[in-house]
Amino acid sequence: MGNEESPQITRRATRLSSSTPVTSNEVETEKITKPYKLTVNDFVFGGEKLSFNDLLSSFPARGNQIRELLRLLGPVNSPMLPLFVYGDPSTGKTSTILQIFRHLNRPFVYASCLTCYSLQILFESVLDQLLLHKKNAANGYSSARRCVKPSDFVNFLRGDLTSVIEKLKSLKKVGPNKSAGKPSGNMLYLIFDNLELIHEWDKSSTALSFMFNLYDVLKMHEVGLIFISNTSPDTYYSNMGYTEHVPVYFPEYTEDDLRQILMRNQPNRKLYSSFLDVVLRPFCRTTRRVDELSTAFSPLFRKYCEPLSDLASVPNEEMKRRLFSHFRPHIAPSLNEIFWVPSKSSTEAETNKDTTLKGSTRKSEVGDHFAQIDFHMSTSAKYLLISAFLASRNPATLDASLFDSTGGSDSRKRKRKASEKSIEQKEVAEQELLMKGPGTFPLERLLAIFQCITSAADSFDEDEHENDDLRAGGDGGLMSDVLLQLSSLCNANFIIKGGSCPLEGSTRYRSTVSEDLALKVARSLKFPLPNYLYRR
Amino acid sequence: MGTENLAEKAQILIRSRLCSPNFIFKPLSDSPDSNYSKLKFIISSSIMEACNNSILLLGPRGSGKVAVLELVLSDLLEEYPDTITVIRLNGLLHSEDNSALKEIARQLCMEHHLLFSKMASFDDNSQFMIAMLRECGLAHKTVIFALDEFDLFAQGKQRLLYSLLDAMQTVTSQAVVVGVSCRLDADQLLEKRVRSRFSHRKLLFLPPSKEDVQRLLEHILSLPMDSSLACDYAAEFNEKLQSILADKRFKEIISNYLNSNSTTNHLLRFLFIAISNMDLKSGFLSLENFKAALSSIQRQPKQECIKDCSILELYILVCMKRLEVREQNSYNFSSVMKEYKSVHDSFPTSDYYAQNVCLRAFEHLLQRELICFADNRGHTQSIEFRQVKLVVSYAELQEGLKSYRSCPAILLKLIDR
Repeated sequence: MGNEESPQITRRATRLSSSTPVTSNEVETEKITKPYKLTVNDFVFGGEKLSFNDLLSSFPARGNQIRELLRLLGPVNSPMLPLFVYGDPSTGKTSTILQIFRHLNRPFVYASCLTCYSLQILFESVLDQLLLHKKNAANGYSSARRCVKPSDFVNFLRGDLTSVIEKLKSLKKVGPNKSAGKPSGNMLYLIFDNLELIHEWDKSSTALSFMFNLYDVLKMHEVGLIFISNTSPDTYYSNMGYTEHVPVYFPEYTEDDLRQILMRNQPNRKLYSSFLDVVLRPFCRTTRRVDELSTAFSPLFRKYCEPLSDLASVPNEEMKRRLFSHFRPHIAPSLNEIFWVPSKSSTEAETNKDTTLKGSTRKSEVGDHFAQIDFHMSTSAKYLLISAFLASRNPATLDASLFDSTGGSDSRKRKRKASEKSIEQKEVAEQELLMKGPGTFPLERLLAIFQCITSAADSFDEDEHENDDLRAGGDGGLMSDVLLQLSSLCNANFIIKGGSCPLEGSTRYRSTVSEDLALKVARSLKFPLPNYLYRR
Repeated sequence: MGTENLAEKAQILIRSRLCSPNFIFKPLSDSPDSNYSKLKFIISSSIMEACNNSILLLGPRGSGKVAVLELVLSDLLEEYPDTITVIRLNGLLHSEDNSALKEIARQLCMEHHLLFSKMASFDDNSQFMIAMLRECGLAHKTVIFALDEFDLFAQGKQRLLYSLLDAMQTVTSQAVVVGVSCRLDADQLLEKRVRSRFSHRKLLFLPPSKEDVQRLLEHILSLPMDSSLACDYAAEFNEKLQSILADKRFKEIISNYLNSNSTTNHLLRFLFIAISNMDLKSGFLSLENFKAALSSIQRQPKQECIKDCSILELYILVCMKRLEVREQNSYNFSSVMKEYKSVHDSFPTSDYYAQNVCLRAFEHLLQRELICFADNRGHTQSIEFRQVKLVVSYAELQEGLKSYRSCPAILLKLIDR
């Protein structure tokens, strides 16, 4: 499936790899194998220049934004006020801007707050790029300059920028003839991506106001600043020291734009277009992001094509109808999934299908795959998961009545208790449960419940006596193993280690497993979980 | 191709004007009661009389406080080339006492060709500064401290301000402290010991008046007749410009734009977009350029965000709004889902999706900051159970839904009730 458009690739890529989407691998390996001396020419994209028409055609539905940006960047050597580019994720902000710079062949420095995850790293990355410094084994992967404070950064930046701009100017004097690799103009542009992440770095938000005031602080006309953010400018208003920049807005793609984008790089356009006729509209109602849609569509398209023997054939009306009737049952379940895990059985089916072309009957029951999914967990871990779930959901006061020696046989008693509550109280409690989420519990309670349910499980399925050594193992042998399992469940995020209880001083846990999952796990163990669940 | 070349040159010229505050504030400073003249008088008199002084420049962000200060400083540096040392600090960078003193020491060393030691301690730097102030005072040299974002220096213990102002009181120095702040109550932030040492001179920067705006527009946009640009082109350009400036519709656009914020920087940003919009083929500005600039700068981010939403995301927003209307003041994803389910139960539509799909949509809304977490606590909780709140108002949401291209009628109905 080639429908992930090239902008997606460049999104988080460095300049080197995004410069030449087609031949990036070659270029990169070449640069790694021999120590490459960076020069001023490396402030621009290497490779051939992108023509304006190519630029437009590589970004469908972004023509207006490209023209606006080009106008704002202006002719060569024209000073610029800072730009603030914003729009939802995966609307092509970063890749559009980078490719515009490739088209213009102007020098720039790109730093993303996503990869540079703290202020220091951001500063050092910008300075490294300006100094043409490359981290490698020889310099111990250290930056050219250590720079923590904004005040140091400004001093360094000012010095480095002037030297780079001098170099750019001298470059122009030496060779007025425009060769391919030479940067044009002596303006240097600094691009800061993912600006909204700075919000989370420091709560006092001095860093953000510093970034916004960078232009006024630097007071250099040869430097253009471009900020890229996922959130709109009004989310920054609350910050003290916010200065407004020239806004450029990237709207979310409309349905027609999405069609254009998804149709790119499709070998059989007619077939894909008939596929999009079916799926695009319903999927657009849930999400309009290109990345999510393209990942959702790639397995679906394969399914859509299943009845076809020849993928290159051009579908006619009759065939479309046939494909649709075959495909229709898959749409609704896939709408309700956010990602599709090729579980073992389905990949097997697929390989079967490739060889024998007979597996299609098995694959039709897609919905069941999720139910059949196997948990690669030991039995004791499963029991531990269930007991954590119970400890989170059930009030601690009911433990005694739930887990007495008779196991789950006291359901009658519980029913009576629940019916005693008045309806109003019930609603309040329900509301509270919704708000509070799963409750916390100490380790002792978890272990007690664990012991209860494992012993209860013993009593009702006597026939299932395989490999479960801990059931036989009594109290002493069991503990260490269970604690190990617990920590691995914590690592897998099934159970969260919460803060310690102020009274007892012990760590409290919280289960994050949803009821559906817990029930599934219980079913795989043949454990009657519903009997133990306290229903308000 | 001649005009295109000329137009490009003109565009670059005007863009560089817009980016250089010195050029812009020149014409506003010639009258005797302008801030420029006042500031220049104060500083130059303290230079002449060899005394200490301190001033605050107050005004909204973007009203040209720093630009006027820089203009004054550059003029004074020309007038008295050997007697002035300018130390520039910015509250955003040097609000910490330690780094501020370090920066002062660094700039003093630079100015007087001394060796600056990076390792010097706070105490060393502060003694060095006082010694330098004394020496400068003896040599009849004035040190001007320009403190941008002055209010940030007033945070914390204000040790820097105290030691600066105290040195000015005791030592035979000649120093001028110029504070620049957008907080009009900046002097109230000072501690008593600092305030008593501060002379309460304040200069207030107001947004330009209508006449000033008109003068500014002419000053920035008209081309000079005696430059490299062809004379007849410049004449024609200016003529067209005059007709635009006199146009009633243009005046409407400008006043409409300046209604929200009438500072100079705000105007400059508008002109920058208009200039960038200039058609290089014809080579002249037109009214359309300004209209387009107005529409591209006056944005409604919340409306745009709502327009970017998918139908499911709108459903979630509407559900949250309904919860809020019912005065349920705290809610989280689970309670929103309950509401969503009840909505679906009473009006069954095809737009009912599984919980994980809704959670993804919910996360999109969080990313877009249309909704946000009610508190910063509870990071250990999963998203479903953390309390959230809407950051769009009822009117904005309603407006957004109405202008949404294919908004389901049911949503409009739900929000109206």
